[in-house]
Amino acid sequence: MSYRPRPEFDQPNAETVQRTRRTFLWFIPLIILQQGTVIFGHGSARSSQIVGTVAWACVSLAIIWLLLGLPMRWLSERDQAILNDEWNREIRGDAALWGMTALALIGCGMMLARIWVQLDFGLAIYSLVNGALIVAVLRYAWLNRAEPGEDE
Amino acid sequence: MNERLSNRLKERRTELGLTQSELAELCLVSRKTINTVENGVFVPSTLLALKLAEALGVSVERLFWIER
Repeated sequence: MSYRPRPEFDQPNAETVQRTRRTFLWFIPLIILQQGTVIFGHGSARSSQIVGTVAWACVSLAIIWLLLGLPMRWLSERDQAILNDEWNREIRGDAALWGMTALALIGCGMMLARIWVQLDFGLAIYSLVNGALIVAVLRYAWLNRAEPGEDE
Repeated sequence: MNERLSNRLKERRTELGLTQSELAELCLVSRKTINTVENGVFVPSTLLALKLAEALGVSVERLFWIER
C-alpha cells in the first residue's frame, strides 16, 4: 500500500486570504463598537466580564492575524509575496495616513467640544483611538476592494 | 509641471496572449497591482518595473515612459 499526499483542497492561499480580508474588513468597525460595550460595561456580572474579555481577546488576535498576516507558516512564499506586494504596502500606508489625520481631527473636535461638554476621560480616549482606527480600516477596505474583471 | 508615468503594459501583455492574472503570477504580485499599474493608478517601483519588463520580454524603457 502506498501513501498519497493529502489533497490541498482546503489549504488557504493568497487569493482566499485576500477574499476573506475584503469581506471581513467591513465588519471591523462594528466589532470595535461592540467591544466598547464590553469595555465600559462595569456593572455587569463577573462571569460575563470574563467571557467578554476572552471573546474579545480572540477577536482581536484574529484581526491582527488577518491584517498583518502574522507568520502564516501555512502560506507559501508565493502567497506571502502576493499578500504583501507593492500595492498592498501602498494602501496600508495610505490608510495609516488617513487614520493619523482622523486622530488629529477627532482630537481637535474633542478640544472644542470640551468647552461646552464635560468629556469622560476613558470614553474620550476610546473614541479618539477607535475613531481613527475605524477611518483607517474603512480607507483600507475601500482601497482593497475587489479589482474589476480582466482587462477592464 | 504635470508629469505622469505612461505604459504599454496592456498592449504588450495582450500581444503575448497573457491575462492579468498570468502576468501577476509571473511577477509574484496580486492581479490588482497589475490592474492598477496598467490603468496608471499606481506607479510601480523600479524592481517591479524591471520584473514586468522581464516577464514581457521588453526593455523597461519600452514599457514605461514619462508623459509631460
